[in-house]
Amino acid sequence: MSFRSIDVDALDEDILLPDELFAFSNGIEIDPETALNNVKSKEVEVRNLLTRGDTSNALIKAIENPPYGLFTIEAKDLNTQIVMEVLNSTKATVEFVKSLATEQQDILMKYIYRGMASPDLYNSAVLLNWHEKLTEVAGVGCIVRVITDRKAV
Amino acid sequence: MSNTLRPYLAAVRSTLTAALCLENFSSQVVERHNKPEVEARSSSEVVMNPLIISRNENEKVMIEPSVNSIRISIRIKQADEIETILCKKFTRFMMLRAENFIILRRKPIDGYSISFLITNSHTEQMYKHKLVDFIIQFMEEVDKEISEMKLSLNARARIVAESYLSQFD
Amino acid sequence: MILLDYHNVVIEETLNQPIVNLEPTVLDMTVVDFDGVAYHLSTPESKSVIKFSLIMQCYKELVQWGAQDMLQREYGPYCVPKEDGYDVTLEFDLQKLPEDKSQREELVKKLALIKRNLMAQPFERAFEQQAQFEDEKQPNPTPDLMQIHYRDQEAIYIQAQLDRVTVIFTTLFKEETDRIFGRVFLQEFVDARRRPAIQNAPQVLYSSKEPPLEIRHLPELQNTSENEDIGYVTFVLFPRHFAKGDVREKTISQIQLFRDYLHYHIKCSKAYMHSRMRARVQEFLKVLNRAKPEVPNVEKKTITGKTVIRS
Repeated sequence: MSFRSIDVDALDEDILLPDELFAFSNGIEIDPETALNNVKSKEVEVRNLLTRGDTSNALIKAIENPPYGLFTIEAKDLNTQIVMEVLNSTKATVEFVKSLATEQQDILMKYIYRGMASPDLYNSAVLLNWHEKLTEVAGVGCIVRVITDRKAV
Repeated sequence: MSNTLRPYLAAVRSTLTAALCLENFSSQVVERHNKPEVEARSSSEVVMNPLIISRNENEKVMIEPSVNSIRISIRIKQADEIETILCKKFTRFMMLRAENFIILRRKPIDGYSISFLITNSHTEQMYKHKLVDFIIQFMEEVDKEISEMKLSLNARARIVAESYLSQFD
Repeated sequence: MILLDYHNVVIEETLNQPIVNLEPTVLDMTVVDFDGVAYHLSTPESKSVIKFSLIMQCYKELVQWGAQDMLQREYGPYCVPKEDGYDVTLEFDLQKLPEDKSQREELVKKLALIKRNLMAQPFERAFEQQAQFEDEKQPNPTPDLMQIHYRDQEAIYIQAQLDRVTVIFTTLFKEETDRIFGRVFLQEFVDARRRPAIQNAPQVLYSSKEPPLEIRHLPELQNTSENEDIGYVTFVLFPRHFAKGDVREKTISQIQLFRDYLHYHIKCSKAYMHSRMRARVQEFLKVLNRAKPEVPNVEKKTITGKTVIRS
């Protein structure tokens, strides 16, 4: 009988799949193409703001509407790159962090951890500085929200 | 470069404090079993996103949280061959005595030098802030110890060579 | 104790009783020395006749370069045909030893140096050959490349040249840790010359995979260039290092023990690291134990007066 070769776990109805977890965190699935296009247009705007020297708005723009989704890897990579560029050129100050809303602080924290995961690509010293200032303002709760949120940036 | 040490340890400290919120949680897959979920990974909803805090390419800390356990993997700085060997020996020495260390894992995760596994029973027995203190102190001391051992090896080599060669006069 | 002794301490102490103090004792011991050399001390026939045998891995090579002559010269009256399983045997009749106590002490000391004297033969020969270079009557002699395989897989090569004598040691590091520690030590040897205090020391060169030029042609080394464990250390001795007399003797004794000296210190360093690590682990455990809260020892009494201690 072939019942021994049936994958019982796959037929289990109670198992939570990644997309269910994602939906549970209020994540809306976007098509990868659309996500990539959104991020590219965002990139252009952010670059403009940076050249104009408006770093705070550039950062706010960069962390706006992150491309959450299970298959939007390219868009996420590109978005991370943009955020890193802005963080590298901005000095971390407590006042600026205080001016961000809680949601924006959470997204920023997610990007800091994402950047530190690839120390070969991004400058960790700068990220550590930002992390320190952000924790001072937002506290440990911000980190807890990053740990538990299923919408990965 | 060394001025990143303080923010690095501060970041590890705050992340650990956030992640060390553990509670008792029996296995959802097997009746009457209670396993550390970060090791068993039996259900995806009890395991949370791993976080990496890095100081540079050679030094980083990965924290994998879950509902009843947390796994901390540290990659110790190894600048040259001697430090690599000393680090390997030191971590192997400690991992052989993992039972005494309670929270030490016997094998490190791939890509890291040493790993800790802290479960809810440990946080029930020990103060959480002291556990975090221990990990931070461990990270500092290991770096110090390895550089001290390297220095003493070099000093010893110099003395040995001098005493041997001065005999030829 | 940084430097190793040239003589064998066990032999000196054991033979002190019978030979110097003339107190016959029954003996049957096997003593070992560095580099696989073994001695057998026994009193087979009577308490007053001591038999001393030695076995050495490279004895046949040493015979080529005059070991027999040296034995005759130094230990002549005591040489006897060799015992089974050994290379050299000497016999001492306690009743026929020299009267003077200090002469007997000298004898014991010389015996303890027998390994050193045997190994010294090729070195002496090389020094003679180098002197020939400077001798105008016989210009351009062809010096031999002397090989002494004193251990498994390790050997010493000696060659005399125009104005120097080159001694090459091949040494095997069995573990990776040994190799790296060895490299640190040997690097210091190479760099030591720069220090003003020891400018007169011989030049040391070290290479880890490629054999040095002088021995590259040897067949046994042909296939070993891939082997990372083998290291080659070259000592360049200049005439002032082996000027006749005390200097020459000291240089020979010193250079024979090089390989053992190096490995001895590598092992000492490993032991030191080990004790440091143990101390550090204790400290960590202490810190970890601080994390445990103190449990109060509560003593309670029941109604009937019994004491209950909760620990």
